[in-house]
Amino acid sequence: MNTVLRALSFRLIQAGGVALVVGVMSFLMMQAMPGDMAYRIAAARYGYDLVSADLADAVRAELRLEAGPFAQFLRWMGDLAQLDMGRSLVSGQPVWQEIAHQLGASLQLAAAAMGLSMLIGPPLGIFAGLHPGGWFDRVLLVVAAGFRAVPQFLLGLVLIVVLAVQLRLLPAAGHGSLAHFVLPALTLALGLAAASARIARDAMAAVAASPHYAFARAKGLTEAQILRRHGLRNIAAPLVTYLGLQFVMLAEGVVVVETIFGWPGIGHALIHAVFHRDVPMVQGTALVMGLGFVLLNAVVDLIVRHIDPREVQA
Amino acid sequence: MTASRLGWGLLVALICFALLAPLGDPLGPFRQSLTKALSGAEAAAPFGYDHLGRSMFSRLAHALRLSLLLAFAATATAAAIGIAFGALASWRAGWIDRALSLLADSMLALPALLMVLMMGVILSSTPLAFWAGLAAVQWIEFFRLTRSAARSHLASPAAVAATLQGFGPIWIFRRILWPEIGPMLRTTIAFGVANSIAAIAALGFVSVGMRAPTPELGLMMVELLPSWREAPFALLQPVLACFTLLLALNLIAGARK
Amino acid sequence: MTLLIATDITVNAGADCLVDPVSITLPMGQAVTVLGESGSGKSLLAQAILGTLPKGLVASGQLRVGLDAFDPSQPQGNRALWGRRIAVLPQEPWLALDPLMRGLEQVAEVHDLVAADTNPQARARSDLATLGLEHAERRFPWQLSGGMAQRLAFAAARAGGAAITVADEPTKGLDADRRDAVLALLRHGLQAGGLLTITHDLALAAGLGGEILVMQGGTVVERGPAAQILGAPEHPYTRVLIASDPGRWPRRAPAPKGPALLEAKGLTVARAGVPLFRPVDFSLSRGQILGVSGPSGCGKSSLGDALLGLMPHQGSLLRGPEVPKLGFQKLWQDPPAAFPARITLGTGLNDLILRHAIDRSRIAPLLNRLKLSADLLDRLPSAVSGGELQRIALLRALLLDPVLLFADEPTSRLDPVTQKETIALMTAIAAEHEMAIVIVSHDTSLLHASSDRVITLTPA
Repeated sequence: MNTVLRALSFRLIQAGGVALVVGVMSFLMMQAMPGDMAYRIAAARYGYDLVSADLADAVRAELRLEAGPFAQFLRWMGDLAQLDMGRSLVSGQPVWQEIAHQLGASLQLAAAAMGLSMLIGPPLGIFAGLHPGGWFDRVLLVVAAGFRAVPQFLLGLVLIVVLAVQLRLLPAAGHGSLAHFVLPALTLALGLAAASARIARDAMAAVAASPHYAFARAKGLTEAQILRRHGLRNIAAPLVTYLGLQFVMLAEGVVVVETIFGWPGIGHALIHAVFHRDVPMVQGTALVMGLGFVLLNAVVDLIVRHIDPREVQA
Repeated sequence: MTASRLGWGLLVALICFALLAPLGDPLGPFRQSLTKALSGAEAAAPFGYDHLGRSMFSRLAHALRLSLLLAFAATATAAAIGIAFGALASWRAGWIDRALSLLADSMLALPALLMVLMMGVILSSTPLAFWAGLAAVQWIEFFRLTRSAARSHLASPAAVAATLQGFGPIWIFRRILWPEIGPMLRTTIAFGVANSIAAIAALGFVSVGMRAPTPELGLMMVELLPSWREAPFALLQPVLACFTLLLALNLIAGARK
Repeated sequence: MTLLIATDITVNAGADCLVDPVSITLPMGQAVTVLGESGSGKSLLAQAILGTLPKGLVASGQLRVGLDAFDPSQPQGNRALWGRRIAVLPQEPWLALDPLMRGLEQVAEVHDLVAADTNPQARARSDLATLGLEHAERRFPWQLSGGMAQRLAFAAARAGGAAITVADEPTKGLDADRRDAVLALLRHGLQAGGLLTITHDLALAAGLGGEILVMQGGTVVERGPAAQILGAPEHPYTRVLIASDPGRWPRRAPAPKGPALLEAKGLTVARAGVPLFRPVDFSLSRGQILGVSGPSGCGKSSLGDALLGLMPHQGSLLRGPEVPKLGFQKLWQDPPAAFPARITLGTGLNDLILRHAIDRSRIAPLLNRLKLSADLLDRLPSAVSGGELQRIALLRALLLDPVLLFADEPTSRLDPVTQKETIALMTAIAAEHEMAIVIVSHDTSLLHASSDRVITLTPA
């Protein structure tokens, strides 16, 4: 039980670190913007439509903006610590509300991509890992390396040109029907599948070459029985751990893919916010992505701990 | 081995093109001649013209220059910082190690593109933002690599033996640590440069990276996408250049454990 | 009743013959032991019979198990034997058990899937109870002691109902107590079947009895009943092999008492504030050899590190007045780990010569004395055998004119004949150079034969 607590407290500290990094970056973004600081902060709090010179002065007095950047920084982090993200400088809506609105679409896309990549990557990787050095292994190595060399935006571009523009099979952009799902999910999934196939392949090859796999053969079990009873369980832990780390790649892919395909999620919102220098929204989306990574990896820690209860030596 | 050699060959060819092509180029990347928009190759513009009648040959070479320069600068900075911090963390241990590790773990949770985008808001110059943002993400990998290699090898019998024989930390670094992490660094650097190039192009493609009229691979792709049916070759050029560059770097990096 | 007849088994790698024709007959209730050093082809012989040869190696000959014939050159067919007719004991049981499966299930799955027994769980439970493993039912392998893991692997290997047991180096790296436990386990298996053992361990071979085959360089040089082979060996190699048993080494003549080097009173080493072993007293002077024994994990290596000044100690430890700065050197258990892995041995020695302005001409006579060939120095540590590497480590230490050498299990990874040569060389050099040696080993007969005095550490 002790190691579970230690893992969770590490994730908690990591979450604090993420918030600190995002907060510092956001504060610097705020500082770098042109114009009157008090006016921008007032806008971030109450929305552009409601800002007046009086409100800006009230903010100036309240935050003691004349006290210098360090005091301002403490205030900024204080708001963040209370999870007060302020309002979008563009829409005037509270940041949380905007993000809650868009998160669903992103999660749908991410889950579809993840599910699709799980159907493609690990089965191919496991098959290759059972016959390391064979023709299938070598072909998969080349194909996976090729897909990893293609960034997601380029893959999306190729898929749009081939499937949507040339063949007119699928809509290039938009949101709503199942057909809209295919291209963005496929774009994300192929890259993820290539990476997870590689991990599954290495894990499977290592397990299949391990003394306990050889001993299972010596015990008289068939290859299928060994794979089912000893193989899958032993590759599950590294694979799940890797999936947790892959979240960064997924989040990055979501930003690009949503923008290319006009998918109304937080990645799309982030690009918009950057374009319009909407710092509160940038901070909000960055925080959601960073904390999403931490949360997902906390869950991964628990799952891995359940699969593989060995005490990990620090 | 052959794959890595092929990768080096492609990379050197692209670098030569990026460096040498602008020397004998009469048009430059910005001169527009709208009458020649999307027209094919001719002596002055061997790769044809884009939608504004600018020389694709010239724009491609300048775009490659920009991507390669930014990517190498960012990765070199990241490697220097990461190795220095990694060595410091394993040498000093204690709270320095914990603080640096926490910083690395915290930044690990943030996607590279996000870091570059935030830097883009903070810093007024876009190339500077790419450099700082990419370096801020990539140092983590170098840090972790150096730290774990140093930890396992500094406690090894070979290092203890060296201490007993009167060798100092510099000898241990040069003869034990460096030969171990050197090959891994080559892989990490190649991947770092590849990721940087992909990030620069991706942000250009979604219009939050380099701004027009700068020649940049992603930006060129998004500009030429509407003209795909009229001039497919024009769009294919930056796509192929980007893909070849990334493929070369991935081949150099080889299979990473 | 004869369980297994192997006739004219050979192993070839392309045109090279690695194992010359060997025939083995294994009767019910009997042990056959193949004795030899690494590289003698004894493991290849077992793998040829089992059909587990590495890729590129081809076996030939005839194999009969019970009434059925098998073709060793077609190893796929042998798989039907595994678990059902032949039980294979793993070399390192700790690694051979699935780390993510509980003890009972590792045995029960064999009863279920291989032997197709009704009620496999109950059968497995009674197997474990027979071996005193009731506590291991719910535990994972990494929660078991080495001895328990060995017994669990034994139960799992034999659960398929095989009458023949094949054990390849079952006592590798074990101390005397654990070795006796393995011997008891193997004898237990003999009650209901036959046993083919591959080993370099003379005590194990003696304990098992039956027939012994001595292999050298892929050829059986001598075979016969165990008592005859071990008691009256005829082939010169068998004699060398038997003489390499530390129990038969000549005792060392006591060293003359030289100038005092170390004086320890109430000495112990603490980890996290807790002493590892009960305090010991000893004194050591130049030219003397001190043996250190004790159960594994009791802090033998830590004692050495304290003597070398690499680790803090508790109690009193006085060093002699004229100990030079680099006068204390060490030999490691795993020779390759003690060298930088990616530079040649010569490069490392050259750096040492430059660092301390050592006379380069000293190397050639030392190489000669240590029976090393000079071209070894052009190689990486991974390309040199363990015995040679340990002697190069000794050479490297001698260049610094040490007054004390701490040798931490210096020969436990070496073959017995190489072990004997290495220890003999070390003790002779101690006398020639007036160097003291502190030698750690789990083999008490080795210590008693080679040391002036032996201290035994007991856990605190």
